Amino acid sequence: MSVEPLIRVQHLHKWFGMLHVLNDICLDVMQREVVCIIGRSGSGKSTLLRSLNFLEEPSAGIIEVDGLVIEAGGKGKLERGLVHALRLKTGMVFQEFNLFPHMTVLENVMEGPVIVKGMTKTAAREIAEANLDRVGLLFKEDEYPNRLSGGQKQRVAIARALAMEPRVMLFDEPTSALDPELIGEVLNVMKKLALEGTTMLIVTHEMGFAREVADRVAVMADGEIIEQGIPDELFRAPREPRTKALIEGYRSGVQDQKPETQRQRTRQRK
Amino acid sequence: MTIKAVPDQSDTRVDAHRGMGEALAALHERQRRIHSIKVTVVWLGIVALLIGGLLLLKTDPSYMVAHYNIILQGAGATLGVSLASILIATILALFGAIARLSTNSLAQGISGVYVSVIRGTPLLIQIFLIYLGLPQIGQRLNEIGLPWLGRLFILDAIPAGILALSLNYGAYMTEIFRAGLQSIGYGQREAAIALGMTPMQVMRRIILPQAIRIIIPDVGNQFIAMQKDSALVSIMGVWEITFLAGRYARRDSKYIEMYLVAAAAYWILTIISSYFQDRIERRMGRAYER
Repeated sequence: MSVEPLIRVQHLHKWFGMLHVLNDICLDVMQREVVCIIGRSGSGKSTLLRSLNFLEEPSAGIIEVDGLVIEAGGKGKLERGLVHALRLKTGMVFQEFNLFPHMTVLENVMEGPVIVKGMTKTAAREIAEANLDRVGLLFKEDEYPNRLSGGQKQRVAIARALAMEPRVMLFDEPTSALDPELIGEVLNVMKKLALEGTTMLIVTHEMGFAREVADRVAVMADGEIIEQGIPDELFRAPREPRTKALIEGYRSGVQDQKPETQRQRTRQRK
Repeated sequence: MTIKAVPDQSDTRVDAHRGMGEALAALHERQRRIHSIKVTVVWLGIVALLIGGLLLLKTDPSYMVAHYNIILQGAGATLGVSLASILIATILALFGAIARLSTNSLAQGISGVYVSVIRGTPLLIQIFLIYLGLPQIGQRLNEIGLPWLGRLFILDAIPAGILALSLNYGAYMTEIFRAGLQSIGYGQREAAIALGMTPMQVMRRIILPQAIRIIIPDVGNQFIAMQKDSALVSIMGVWEITFLAGRYARRDSKYIEMYLVAAAAYWILTIISSYFQDRIERRMGRAYER
């Protein structure tokens, strides 16, 4: 395997007006690595994730994904083609699913391959069905999204992103809009992807999931990554007081109620 | 024995409850039907009162019956002008709305002026300007040696009417389309962009198909309103319903009779249009049923 990271973020800044939301963020993600970003609301973790595919244009900094380098906030106009190429390398899953309600489940997943990649319907259908099968929802392919539960919608959204065959999957609080009893099915799909070796960057409040599945956890506060490390160590002995407060908040709250499944932490990495 | 006794008991209870549900449903159904019968009676009562009143006031129903066929003669022109106008207005509104929402300053400016001017002036004056005003420009162009250009400014009554109605409704519908396009959540746009779609693809594949479902009922309303506003083109001598009614009314001094016939004609057209609007709406809601 290459030693070069798949994602390299260097000195990323983002201002919303006078608000400094991202302050000099540097972050590397290796191929096949699963990185969870945790932090309080407003700490900048979603903005960081959304900067990676330029849904949010960073004010300054360099983003590198799979050899593609984009410098934000530089002089001159941002090159459209570069941003487009970047988006093809990243798949995004949103908190609110954002399925296209006027299309069936299958059409939702086929849309990207057909419209963006210009694939034939037959080829796209094959890919779409394979990915719906991966998330266990092939039997719902002819339903419209409104007839699905929240958990099913999110799994379709994951399949839709996977169908573009991105190099990295970005998850923006994928279970935060779900009823508690539906969270498990989505986390299970994500866990399966992790075991298959998908590179994932996940913004989440699910501490149990982060501890179980992540290779690395990054903690954000006030627009900075204040601490990162191997989940077991970080959760057992956080160095930063703000990390400690964050983890204790979850422990005492009702948040961390995910049923513990068997541990399958160590994935072989070549 | 005890094992058997328990399910028996619960079975009868379930049956009793099911009976209750059916009885309630039947009761609601009966109440609903009685209500709609009452409403129908009120409608018929009002119509009967109006007819009675008109007969007392020495109107001439036989004249109305004898000339009811103006409906058939005029409906073609009324419908034709309205349909052509709503079609052109829809296209204008689509481009108008996209222009108003675009970041391009030229597009934003042009669409802004268009909507502001048209909505700020009466339709009747717009009709006069197009039918009577434009030929004046055409004539001047003829005089300065540009007859091919001048000819474009001299419009017959029907094209002039269609142009005026299209421009007018296009402006109002621009605002309707804009609201429809804006009502589609930003998340839809983001999801499409994240897949790698271009702004054009996002509009065509994601935003527009969803917005149309929201816009259609309003376009239907506009079409229904336009059928009646098309009466204004009668002043240019287009042989539509209002013009024909007016002709007989003046000739035989039968104003109440002929304008009532005309009013009835529009009313019938509106009812028919509403029916089709309802059907289209129901069809488009398909994906949104739970």
